[in-house]
Amino acid sequence: MDTAPPATPGPAGAGDAGAGRPVPIERCPTGIDALDAILDGGIPRGNIVLIAGSVGTGKTTLTLEFLIRGAERGERSLFLSVTEAAAKLIQNVASFEFFRTSLIEEGKLVIVDLPPVMAKLGFDRDELSHEDLDLLLRTIRDLVRSLGVRRLVLDSITSLGYRIPRDEQLRDFLLRLGEILSEADCTTLVVSEISSGPERHSTRSVEEAIVDGIILLRSIRRLGDILRVLQIVKMRGTPHSRALYVVELTPIGILMAPHLKGGRATEI
Amino acid sequence: MPQADIGEKLRALPPGSAVAMKLDAREYADHYFAFLNATLRDLGSDPEVHTIYVAVTSPAPFVWSLAQALDVPADRISFVDAISHLMMRFNNALPNATYVESPRALEEIMLRIEYLLRRFPHPRSVVVIDSVNSLAIHNPPELLSEFLHILLNSLKSRQALTIVLETSDEQAQSVEQLLNLVVDETIDLARLGG
Repeated sequence: MDTAPPATPGPAGAGDAGAGRPVPIERCPTGIDALDAILDGGIPRGNIVLIAGSVGTGKTTLTLEFLIRGAERGERSLFLSVTEAAAKLIQNVASFEFFRTSLIEEGKLVIVDLPPVMAKLGFDRDELSHEDLDLLLRTIRDLVRSLGVRRLVLDSITSLGYRIPRDEQLRDFLLRLGEILSEADCTTLVVSEISSGPERHSTRSVEEAIVDGIILLRSIRRLGDILRVLQIVKMRGTPHSRALYVVELTPIGILMAPHLKGGRATEI
Repeated sequence: MPQADIGEKLRALPPGSAVAMKLDAREYADHYFAFLNATLRDLGSDPEVHTIYVAVTSPAPFVWSLAQALDVPADRISFVDAISHLMMRFNNALPNATYVESPRALEEIMLRIEYLLRRFPHPRSVVVIDSVNSLAIHNPPELLSEFLHILLNSLKSRQALTIVLETSDEQAQSVEQLLNLVVDETIDLARLGG
């Protein structure tokens, strides 16, 4: 019940200076209390993080809360949607008690449907070429710069990936996206849809090595009940917990509790 | 049953205490009603108190009907009902209740309590777990111990008074031992002169 302990600083801790003095790093608090606690205060600013999970595990909800909490703090937040129409997303966020429509009206929270943008850019082929991807990256960069975006969500790389046939292209796209956004000091969550089962964090595995962090959401079965759990698999630049936490999506936001170990659980 | 004594004992406890409330199985109805009277009516009459009642033994609508008989206002009590789903009783949902699919989903029970604590912030929160025996029917001992240990410590840090109902009989010794490890005090209603 949001009882996540602070992450234990370890040898892989953030930025140890030569004399053993820790260099303070700027954080981007997700606004989800327990998640920030197990991240030692939040995602290191400018990181690009994969939010991986199978259907119905709360990936989009988590990313929307991240953006709304950021917008509330005065950080311009941008949602790039490949899978769901903006109108439907706005309908979804309205169920959050902490969401105010004024965040959208005042331009603090911006939701962009990517498919119409891509159509306008003339991407009429099923498969995107190197030039298309280059143009898409420049468009995102310009959008981020002109709006002064500090938080960005791309939902999802899986859907976009269907139009990027080769792994090298996808890897290159993500690398350059990470560079662009990191330069802009923009913290980014990239949603990755995976099929059920352990040990996979992305559909094509290309994304896993490139990103700075991976937060995995999945469902497990224990004594016949299904629990939705979250685990931070990796997060560069900060110590973090690697334990499993049960998550609950509520109108006041995502709540987390430690996963109890006393019962045998299996992946579903 | 000296319910005034129960109320006094509960009021005298420091904030963040965890109490096992021991009900005698042979006098269950009397003891249970005395407990409800002392907790929901006497203790709950303080406008600063909000009670979160975790219903595992009986569905929330049943407990709520008893609470109504004691004139407990609806805005001063919330329920986490972890038994109605299992009984396939969905037709009588209470507006002041949140429903958990199963009494085995212990983390979800923790999270619903957390949700209600945040949703209804009051200077004094009382959390009732009814009961450890019912939870023990559905959960293996190691899981239940872990749950109680984490939950009670978490509620202690939030200064909430936690009352865990326990029905004592000869078969329930292991539950009693488990509970003794995690609570600060035990109130035995049979010894209070019931």
